[in-house]
Amino acid sequence: MVKAEEKVLSVEEPREISSGWEPNILAFACHYCAFAAADLAGVMRLSYPPTVKVIRLPCTGKLDYIHILHAFERGVDGAFVAG
Amino acid sequence: MIIGKQKPFEEIWDMIKNFKKVLVFGCNTCVAICHAGGGKEAEILASMLRMRASLEGVEIEVKHAAIERHCEPEFFEPVMDNVRTSDMVLSLACGVGVNFLSERIGNIPVYPGINTEFYGAVPKAGIFTELCAGCGDCILHLTGGICPIARCAKSLMNGPCGGTNNGKCEISQDVDCAWYLILERMKKLGILEKMFEIQPLRDWSTGMYGGPRRIILDHIEEVEAQEERKGS
Repeated sequence: MVKAEEKVLSVEEPREISSGWEPNILAFACHYCAFAAADLAGVMRLSYPPTVKVIRLPCTGKLDYIHILHAFERGVDGAFVAG
Repeated sequence: MIIGKQKPFEEIWDMIKNFKKVLVFGCNTCVAICHAGGGKEAEILASMLRMRASLEGVEIEVKHAAIERHCEPEFFEPVMDNVRTSDMVLSLACGVGVNFLSERIGNIPVYPGINTEFYGAVPKAGIFTELCAGCGDCILHLTGGICPIARCAKSLMNGPCGGTNNGKCEISQDVDCAWYLILERMKKLGILEKMFEIQPLRDWSTGMYGGPRRIILDHIEEVEAQEERKGS
């Protein structure tokens, strides 16, 4: 028997990636470490793609399944959790 | 408490896919503790169903809600008007909740999103074990507080049977032999001699075998009736 999860994954057909496409990434960052690191990167004038959006959390322990699911529902291509 | 387990996602999808307005309705008591059907699980499942609908290219409005209990009428009152705006309700409550809501909701179908499993405890976070069978005739005083009805695969009253194997049951090495546990417990309690008393044939009609059960507390019912008379 095929597991439910496998069937769900198989619903979406892999598609060709058009040139110039960049994934929209949502980054969940902990205030005390990853976000501070991102801040420092900014101070150092390091850049990252504009398709990455950062959300600061008081702690990544605050992150719940539903936040990731909401992100995917609204069309992000990937979630990055740093903390 | 009542322990439940969410049904496979595919089975749930098959239930809801032909409806247009679906409410995933959680219960925040027992099934929330076992991470199967609380408000949080309702929200997650609703989100997954919306994504599935989107992948399938079908339009289904999936909402979620939760109330504290699905087994008493007063908890439904504030939300029933909203609940009735759905085409179907996917209840994440135990089977009691599905029955109870079905009787009250009118012509809207109520489908189960979880499998109701057993009466259990939570010895550790994430582990749920069956400890009581709700048999209607408790004998725990005879068995050192360990229930052979729920915990012995054969529900023996005079155990152990020949299948006991170094403290485990013959059905699986993962299942403790309830009668071995009873013996060890009675040794500790200093009442081992009670093990040798033969328990008579049991009347199983006090449990589900006697048909659906009902308990009526006359004094409570009378007070309620008095209150209603005063109010009217």
